[in-house]
Amino acid sequence: MLMTGRLPIMLGMKFDVNYLSKLANLNLTEEEEKQLPAQLEKIIDWVGQLTQLEIEEDGENFTPVDFTLRLEPDEPGQSLPLAEVLAMAPEKEGDFFKVPRVLTGK
Amino acid sequence: MPQKLHRLGLNETINLVKNGQVSLVEIVEDYITRIEKIDKSVKAYLTCNFESALARAKEIDSKSQKGRLAGAVLALKDNIVTKSVRTTCGSKILENFIPPYNATVTEKLEAEDAIIIGKTNLDEFAMGSSTENSAYFTTRNPWDLSRVPGGSSGGSAAAVAAGEAAVALGSDTGGSIRQPAAFCGLVGLKPTYGRVSRYGLVAFASSLDQIGPLARKVRDCALVTSVIAGFDRRDSTSADLPVPDFPASLESPLVKRRIGVLDEDSLSEVNQEVAANYKETLQLLTELGFKLTTLSFPTWQYALPCYYIIAPSEASSNLARYDGVRYGFRADSSELSDMYVKTRTLGFGPEVKRRILIGTFALSSGYYDAYYARAARARQAISREFQSAFQQVDFILTPTTPEPAFRLGEKQDPLSMYLQDYFTVTANLAGIPGLSLPAGLTSNGLPLGLQLLGPAFSELDLFKLAFLLEKNFDFKNNIDEIKNVREEEV
Repeated sequence: MLMTGRLPIMLGMKFDVNYLSKLANLNLTEEEEKQLPAQLEKIIDWVGQLTQLEIEEDGENFTPVDFTLRLEPDEPGQSLPLAEVLAMAPEKEGDFFKVPRVLTGK
Repeated sequence: MPQKLHRLGLNETINLVKNGQVSLVEIVEDYITRIEKIDKSVKAYLTCNFESALARAKEIDSKSQKGRLAGAVLALKDNIVTKSVRTTCGSKILENFIPPYNATVTEKLEAEDAIIIGKTNLDEFAMGSSTENSAYFTTRNPWDLSRVPGGSSGGSAAAVAAGEAAVALGSDTGGSIRQPAAFCGLVGLKPTYGRVSRYGLVAFASSLDQIGPLARKVRDCALVTSVIAGFDRRDSTSADLPVPDFPASLESPLVKRRIGVLDEDSLSEVNQEVAANYKETLQLLTELGFKLTTLSFPTWQYALPCYYIIAPSEASSNLARYDGVRYGFRADSSELSDMYVKTRTLGFGPEVKRRILIGTFALSSGYYDAYYARAARARQAISREFQSAFQQVDFILTPTTPEPAFRLGEKQDPLSMYLQDYFTVTANLAGIPGLSLPAGLTSNGLPLGLQLLGPAFSELDLFKLAFLLEKNFDFKNNIDEIKNVREEEV
């Protein structure tokens, strides 16, 4: 089945930067606040032209792999040395990465 | 050894070593002198490994049996991990990251006695087309220091063009090897998806990323490709297929002679000199006896919007790992969730944030079907169009870029930067190989690139066609040319 035309969901769509920032675990700096939201709206509007392309219903699971994947036996191999991995930890305790407290509130 | 070794091609240097005419130490010392002299102006390198490069050179000099790349002084884009050598990805968030392991390509190069002299600058997390998105500094184009070297592998391209490395590795997600190769007068290959292991390549968009070389000559590019290609059990998407000896077969007859070319409409918005150069090449190919067929590619114009949904979607997921826990950089906070947000807010630059937010949007509830799923289906349509084209032709030729190298700071609008990838991005979406070859100069002396595309795993044919064209173009991309134009200024 071919699909064409702009999808209704794409019309009048609002790009909610605050909501998306929350989902992505980041904030914008003051300087970025001035520019990014408008730029993002423009980019999303531009990618919306994809709705003009007639495409088939299948293909959602498209892969660029054009060859047979080789399967390997599921056997444990050698891991990276713990000390070298932990050397990158901003904070550690024993053999663990240490993070600030997880539960918030009182 | 009186001559400047950095001016020689990789093949020539390797032969000098093989014949005992020069030592590895002499070669490395010459490159160090060159980098110290010129890199303060070109700014190709984020990190240099002079001490370890010299130590390694001494070690290789003392070996009686040397590897295929003994004599090769190479650079790696700084998103390819190197054990015990800082790997920043051009980002603040990895400014202190010292990997505890090597990428497969790093291991393969070193196993053949290549010497890695440094890590090159890039757009942060390989997101950009000019290196202006690097969190550290902007690299300059050695052909004209007021212009960009392209990106995201701009440091790798500038290093090779300026004689600061014989060959460099880059990565290509939407054109990041081929566009800087075109801007800097180099040969650059984006291999078939799966041809080269991605193990140890910091992930940007995993279904599009590939590592490949940038070199001054086709033969050098072919040699390095033959070393880095092949199956790797640590990358489940690497192909378990034999790797041809690319350089050994360059001069064997090219039996495939059918070439697909773009119609006039596809060239209507490209720079006039780019279009004229492309048409001259088609004329040359006709004279050389190739059969040209004009192709209609209705999906091509949708490739960029498709890419700018798929790549940011994958990036938003891949970059979720940078949360201040494991990679060195952390913003202070007394609570975990706040620490994540502050680390990412301070650690990522604006282009990375733009792409993470676009990807988060395209994958979010209510928009997934309209954006990501639709883009995935469009990607399949583009891939099928290539499969159908390759029933009629053996290669497809396009310009590599819509324009030659632009000025630093010229493209402030992200969309105008994205359009740089117009000709290159289709190869990543379809998973096919693409090679950029220097094809001439503009009236003001800037390099122009020609892109050759072929079916999956047709790298050998691409190299053979590129080798044939290289001989006919007689492109002067040697260091003397660049030196005469620019070295007094640097």
